[in-house]
Amino acid sequence: MKYMNKSIEELHELLKEGKVTERELIDESLELSKRVEEENNAFVTILDNIEEKEVTDNLLSGIPYGLKDNYSTKGILSTGSSNTLKDYVPFFNATAVEKLNNAGAVLINKTAMDEFGMGGTGTTCHTGVVTNPWDKIRMCAGSSSGSAAAVAAGVYPYATGSDTGDSIRKPAAYCGIVGYKPTYGMISRYGLFPFASSLDHLGVLTRCVKDSAIVVDEMKGIDKNDMTSWDSSNIHLRESLTGDVKGKKLCYVKEICDINNYPNATDELKEHLDNFMKTIEKAKEIGIEVDEVSVDKTLLSAVPAVYVVISCAEATSNMSNLTGIIFGPRAEGKNWIEMVKNYRTQGFSPLIKRRFVIGSYVLQSQNQERYFRNAQRVRRLVVDEWKNLFKEYDAVILPVGSGPAKHLDGSKDILTKDTEILEEHLQIGNFGGFPSITIPNGFISNMPVGVNITGNCYDDENVLNIAYALESTMPYKGQIAGGEKHE
Amino acid sequence: MSTKFTKEMVDDYADKLLIGLTREENQMVLDEFEIIDETINTINEIEGIENVEPMTHTLDDFVYELREDVAEESVSIDDLLSNCDMNNGREVEVPKVVE
Repeated sequence: MKYMNKSIEELHELLKEGKVTERELIDESLELSKRVEEENNAFVTILDNIEEKEVTDNLLSGIPYGLKDNYSTKGILSTGSSNTLKDYVPFFNATAVEKLNNAGAVLINKTAMDEFGMGGTGTTCHTGVVTNPWDKIRMCAGSSSGSAAAVAAGVYPYATGSDTGDSIRKPAAYCGIVGYKPTYGMISRYGLFPFASSLDHLGVLTRCVKDSAIVVDEMKGIDKNDMTSWDSSNIHLRESLTGDVKGKKLCYVKEICDINNYPNATDELKEHLDNFMKTIEKAKEIGIEVDEVSVDKTLLSAVPAVYVVISCAEATSNMSNLTGIIFGPRAEGKNWIEMVKNYRTQGFSPLIKRRFVIGSYVLQSQNQERYFRNAQRVRRLVVDEWKNLFKEYDAVILPVGSGPAKHLDGSKDILTKDTEILEEHLQIGNFGGFPSITIPNGFISNMPVGVNITGNCYDDENVLNIAYALESTMPYKGQIAGGEKHE
Repeated sequence: MSTKFTKEMVDDYADKLLIGLTREENQMVLDEFEIIDETINTINEIEGIENVEPMTHTLDDFVYELREDVAEESVSIDDLLSNCDMNNGREVEVPKVVE
């Protein structure tokens, strides 16, 4: 690997100085794509005949990148990693894709994902299981699995993702990279395959905080095709990265971070929480004040179920257009009902079917109050709780998951009775639309782990700057899977 | 308390969604739902929950602006039908509905 392990700014400089050609970058990224496809099954499509773009003063111009396969790309297969759209070729670009195109970014591949973003393991892609480039017997998490694997393996400096529950931020942690979802609506959702519209965010996976800022600076902006997008022209993420965090205040939640909450804690979990506290110490060393706060445990324990109820309800509605009649591979059947039923039965994975049935049940008029409305009420209570924290603190800092990437043979992607808030708390960032970023903060069992920083809506500059400063205290910035290992 | 979600109900809801489930898939729905139901029971015990306004959108300060009513070029029929497996000219072909 000669170039693709570098940051966006480094590549831009090399291009501008003529020390590397764009063709060399494309060829290297393509070669790495093929290798990572073979090793980790990370892609749905690797493009051929990629044309060079003009290298301009735009930092992204001439630099390779990947798109998650739920971003609509004109004339390029876009499947959402589902058999129901296995041959779907959009006739338009998602707004975010259009913006990256205009910046001169060079698309190399479309990355595999949990089907329609509705999973967290990387095991439900129609092209097969995505494996973790740090260790193939472990998962990448999901749903932005292929994007995380590719960036971690050094195929290119960045790939896009989408995040409805934690789909950018958890794979980033499992793969030892940075995952950032900005405030809801900062990047237009137009052309992103919808999963749960009130929770869906676009974002990016990179190997350093500054690269995340650079990419989202280009992707963001108000869009007449998405009425929930807003004008962020006064937000300049890259420029906001000063590293000056003196006087900033963070908090972490005792009910999530205290080992005593987990009577059956594994050694990995204990190590993970110890490591988290070391990161807190690092934050203090650079002048950040960090407090422990307490949040009602009943509210926290409701988060996973609230997420399932709301996301399944919205998904059931959003995906009712998948019939195989007007697009998608049409199924056999003697009448249209049979055709649609065969298409959906054969096309959807068991996970998706399960979520649709739950979504349909909670939306029935006799069940709506008990399940759907109450879930929405708890969503407000949780968001209000976090907004109260933001009155005093710049952001909430928490460990991601219960340790390093899980082994693939144990993945079920189902709520179980022992599912703890530690695994699911990132969903709160989606409930409130909060800007939220995961950065790597260590290694456990030779696998990377991450820490998450989440701030108030529209406060992206502050959140990224804190992450940027904290990143500089640790040796994991820019790391590549299979490169230098950290014990 | 809710009505118990049964195997038959799961099949019925799946059928209404035009989805067929295997026996294992049916059981997976019931297993996951049992956990959700327990949590919802806890939620119902939160004091004053019924008085909380359900949160339907992420942000509460969306700015809505009416655009000028200007005609724009619409998507071409060819584009719209480009992913349709069976079409005839400008129409989507479907099996006969009325026998």
